[in-house]
Amino acid sequence: MQRQNDEALTAQEGWRTIVATMESTRGSLYVVGSAAILVLWGVIASIGYLSQYATETLAADFVSRNPWINAPLWGILVVVGMVGSALIGHRAGGENAAGDAIRSAGLRVFLFWLAVVAAAFLVPAAAGMWGEDAGANIPRVAIGIIALGYVLFGIMNRPVIAVVGAGIAAAFYIPSYLLGDVALVVSAAATLTVAVLGAVWIRRSGVL
Amino acid sequence: MTGEPAFLDETIHQSTRLRIMTMLVSLPETDRLTYGFIQETLGLTGGNLTTHLRKLEEAEYLTVAKDSHNSRPRTWVQATPAGRQAYTVYLANLVKTLSWVPND
Repeated sequence: MQRQNDEALTAQEGWRTIVATMESTRGSLYVVGSAAILVLWGVIASIGYLSQYATETLAADFVSRNPWINAPLWGILVVVGMVGSALIGHRAGGENAAGDAIRSAGLRVFLFWLAVVAAAFLVPAAAGMWGEDAGANIPRVAIGIIALGYVLFGIMNRPVIAVVGAGIAAAFYIPSYLLGDVALVVSAAATLTVAVLGAVWIRRSGVL
Repeated sequence: MTGEPAFLDETIHQSTRLRIMTMLVSLPETDRLTYGFIQETLGLTGGNLTTHLRKLEEAEYLTVAKDSHNSRPRTWVQATPAGRQAYTVYLANLVKTLSWVPND
């Protein structure tokens, strides 16, 4: 077997290097643009929390009779977020790679998140929560599904993203259970903080 | 397997160059990657990556092309057909080497 003088490899090491590199290449293609998209969703979630807090504070009676009233607001925000994410992902992909692989990866990531977001709306609907009795609990289910999406995506591609997903869940659930009326305000600040810190962390982990 | 151990192309059989070639060859033939993407994915310094890209380029296993995007320079790296062929041969020989048992 021929050997190199610098950083000599055994055949076994060569094989392991190939397998690990193929895995990291695939992962890198899937997470291109993740940091910027995370910040976008941090801003969108914060706007949603603050808007929901505002409607529940300024129009408390109306909201108590129509607990689903924040759903259209979240619907608009989510559409803006999905379109924005697609544009950011497309741009980031084009800046780092060209060809079928990056297009395929971008499409798969978009469909993954489309499925997660659809589940965040449809699971509460299927559970009969879109009504007066359980409407207020829809965000608790939806945020959990979104955070689960981050955790699963991170486990499959970059563990740091899974940790960020846990942070997003904590930023919502801890204030929600402990802080009463001001929970959404604290969640807005906490979610934005998690998103920004997570984006910095993701960038430092080598994600473009 | 017995007999002679397989020859492993020294241009490819080096940790960094093997990783670079694996990245490029694992993509479809018309695909290419930027210098920055390769650098971040492999966690290399600019100098290290440039040195190994130059060796692979001299062997005509890849091409390096520059353009500009939003007024910023961008460097594209793409495996050549010769590079893909060399990698295929390298891979076949690596498998042979892994299964090679020396004669007593």
